[in-house]
Amino acid sequence: MMSKRIGGLSMLPLTCIARVRVMLRHVSLLLLSVLALSGAAHAQEASAPVAAAGDFKSLDQEVQALKKEVLDLNRELFVLEEELLFPANTQVAVFVSMDVGEFFAVDSVTLKLDNKEVANYLYTEREAQALLKGGVHRVYLGNLKAGDHELIALFTGQGPHVRDYRRGATINLTKGVGAKYVELKISDRASKAQPEFVVKEWE
Amino acid sequence: MRSRAAVRALIAAALLVVASPSPAADLQGQPAPDFALRSLEGQNLRLSEHLGGVVLINFWASWCGPCRQEMPLLDELHVKYKLAGLTVLGVNIDDSTERAAEMAKTLKVSYPVLFDERKDVSRSYAVSAMPFTVLVDREGVVRYVSDGFKPGYEKRYAEQLRELLNDE
Repeated sequence: MMSKRIGGLSMLPLTCIARVRVMLRHVSLLLLSVLALSGAAHAQEASAPVAAAGDFKSLDQEVQALKKEVLDLNRELFVLEEELLFPANTQVAVFVSMDVGEFFAVDSVTLKLDNKEVANYLYTEREAQALLKGGVHRVYLGNLKAGDHELIALFTGQGPHVRDYRRGATINLTKGVGAKYVELKISDRASKAQPEFVVKEWE
Repeated sequence: MRSRAAVRALIAAALLVVASPSPAADLQGQPAPDFALRSLEGQNLRLSEHLGGVVLINFWASWCGPCRQEMPLLDELHVKYKLAGLTVLGVNIDDSTERAAEMAKTLKVSYPVLFDERKDVSRSYAVSAMPFTVLVDREGVVRYVSDGFKPGYEKRYAEQLRELLNDE
């Protein structure tokens, strides 16, 4: 139930959040004044007739309920704010890793998401060495809406016999709820003496 | 009456131009934007890999006359101060790398010549004139920016370089 409400609210723009915040502040002030009133009532309780005790008890419960509601609303607002600022459900990250690298020396990686270039990274000698030593490079971090998307990765570098090598790989991504991590792994295919580009998706 | 208003508007515009700092001035004191570019030798070079030393970044183009004058002088600075921790990077902004490569070979510069074909780097440094020289200190902060070139500028560069090289 809670998640549904948050999901619905997440469509609201940030200005709405600001309004809700102001409303929340007003509710808090109201709550404080009610608490102050109830405090004053408690002070008078000793002299008040016993019959009125039941009324105060119900007022106390109401105040407690109101307080709980404010706390719930505050928590909901906090979650909503975080969701809007850091939308994990739209997050996509692409990583590059290398294994062995006998048949390929990486020079650059270009990424296209839905036919739009989103990253173009040139690797220096040191960075290529770091990849060979097991380093994983995050080449892209962005947001993507749920649904099907096409990711094109274009690798350039030196292939077997120190020849210029250019290779593209197309990946059809299905973005669901939750962050998506894609690993582009460059490895060697010893049987063909050629580099191999493997795509691995992490949910 | 109208002409007076026009004159006032012109004065106001001129004052605004004088008062507003240039993008190059904005860069001073800021961390130098990092970049990686392909060099004339075919390797890729990244600015951040040279931090710890002083870096002189010189933006140039093959169609720029003063660049032709300046580059051999920068090469002299490079040869003289490289052992003291200076790296000179020549960033070419030509659309075609062929003419730039030819010019670099003709001038026999010994420092790395890089190609900014996509113009991303020159945009991030707000290059407004040719040549355009940026001095980055050991911490990676832009300390001096100079646009254009006139004979005598090389002395200024040398003074600034010595100051940055002597910085602890």
